[in-house]
Amino acid sequence: MSLSWFQIISLCRKEWRIVMDTPLGYVMAIAFLMVCGFFFESNLFLIGQADMRGWFSILSLLLMFFIPAMAMRMLADEKRSGTFELLATMPITTMSIVLGKYLALWVQILALLALTLLYPLTLSWLGNLDAGQILASYLAAVLLASSYAAVCLYASAITRYEVVAYVLGFVMLLLLFLLSKAMPTFSPAVQDWLVLLSPLSHYQSMLRGLVRLSDVMFFIAMSGLFLTLTWFELERRRWR
Amino acid sequence: MIQAEKLSRLYGEQYAVRDLSFHIKHGEVMGLLGPNGAGKSTTMKMLTCFLPPSSGTASIDGIDIQQNLDVRRRIGYLPEHAPSYSDLNVQEHLSFIGRMYGVPKATLHDKIREMSAACGLQGRLHQRIDELSKGYRQRVGLAASMLHDPDCLILDEPTTGLDPNQMVEIRQLIRRLGEKKTVLLSSHVLSEVDAVCDRMMIIDRGELRAIGTRDELIARSSSGLVLHVCMRGDADAVVTQICEQYKTCEVDKHVLAEEGLTKLVFHHSDISTPLAETVFSAVVSVGGVLLDMHAQETSLEDVFHRVTGSAL
Repeated sequence: MSLSWFQIISLCRKEWRIVMDTPLGYVMAIAFLMVCGFFFESNLFLIGQADMRGWFSILSLLLMFFIPAMAMRMLADEKRSGTFELLATMPITTMSIVLGKYLALWVQILALLALTLLYPLTLSWLGNLDAGQILASYLAAVLLASSYAAVCLYASAITRYEVVAYVLGFVMLLLLFLLSKAMPTFSPAVQDWLVLLSPLSHYQSMLRGLVRLSDVMFFIAMSGLFLTLTWFELERRRWR
Repeated sequence: MIQAEKLSRLYGEQYAVRDLSFHIKHGEVMGLLGPNGAGKSTTMKMLTCFLPPSSGTASIDGIDIQQNLDVRRRIGYLPEHAPSYSDLNVQEHLSFIGRMYGVPKATLHDKIREMSAACGLQGRLHQRIDELSKGYRQRVGLAASMLHDPDCLILDEPTTGLDPNQMVEIRQLIRRLGEKKTVLLSSHVLSEVDAVCDRMMIIDRGELRAIGTRDELIARSSSGLVLHVCMRGDADAVVTQICEQYKTCEVDKHVLAEEGLTKLVFHHSDISTPLAETVFSAVVSVGGVLLDMHAQETSLEDVFHRVTGSAL
């Protein structure tokens, strides 16, 4: 399976251009920053905590709402508008298309998370900040968002309708969230397995400032699994 | 050059295209005709590697469509309805297409200018595609399909949505391109195929029904010579003379008593028969007056109707 990075980056640039040329990207960024700012500010002023652990915990929930919205048009819109046929007849492999779209989504997520760097900068001005923990937490957020992006890209690949893609993406992320919340109701043996399979367990583990290879590998594997499923979904038309 | 050998595509258990074989030479424009659901778009999707064939083979410039990246580089494809990225402007859209096809950065700008001039898009390069009329979007699609200077052009209904002037311009453009490239175009407009294509093929229910030049198709599907005659005088004597000379000739006779005229329609299976001359001589020999005589021509519409059993 050959990958052309020039074409992957061209595809990524095209997606970025669409986000920048339409209100979608700005609306998303403003809404994300407003909600993030609200939770950061309420932790800081109402509870009086000058740390970001609470904010990072809530971030995992916010990503569940925002990432499906960012990913919903990625492939569903191409299919609905017919441009997927244009794209799929270009000299580019299906995996390169998937990676180009994923990279575009990833860059958007990074840009949004980069905007929130204002919060730790504010805290560092107010007092002593555990930089190591903040860095680990940001790494955890990037990894969690990356795996969520792969899930939502898959949701966008299985339908032609953006709204359906949003709902499917959100429901899949909600199931992953509920998996960790429902964990205490299972037997200890099952719980051990669920801890391994739950993205939130790995995320919470990294928020403590501990970057374990197993946690990082989990998110990479989860992204890889859903990108492969996306590739499979796009290739499926050929096998019908 | 496009070559297809027993190309078939199954959807479930139903054939969308079945055992389709044809050959298009370099520098030839081939028209693909067929009623809705005949398999035109599926054929194009297989040739452009969007769908693999269920059986059979095809090659573009000698390269099997299984090696699909090499084949795709050689093809310029305009899908049905000319889809394009409506959130981008024309320049951005064409730049993206050019980069994806590997057009060198140094020449990309010139290529865009050249193709936009060829397709009448000057002055529209900075306009968003969703603000363009359908005709202009069709032009954007055409420009995009030719941007990387492909050897083969596969155009699915290239003039849909264009006004008559635009249609003429685009047909002239395709005609010009057809001198240097291999072009396969599908259309519902028979006059367009007639005007643009060197040869045409008609498919119906996935199967090839006819292939050839316009004249070949007309000659092949023609049911024979039909001659309409309007005369004054002894029509029965004329009919007797003709039927004696041409045993297989059939005649319909219609007398217009009030005007003293007779209308005769002669049917003969052999199109090369000099029937008109014989009828003229016969009318003169019986002292009649010949008021009108014309052969009924078979049109492409007639050919299409006969071959597919349906109108477009």
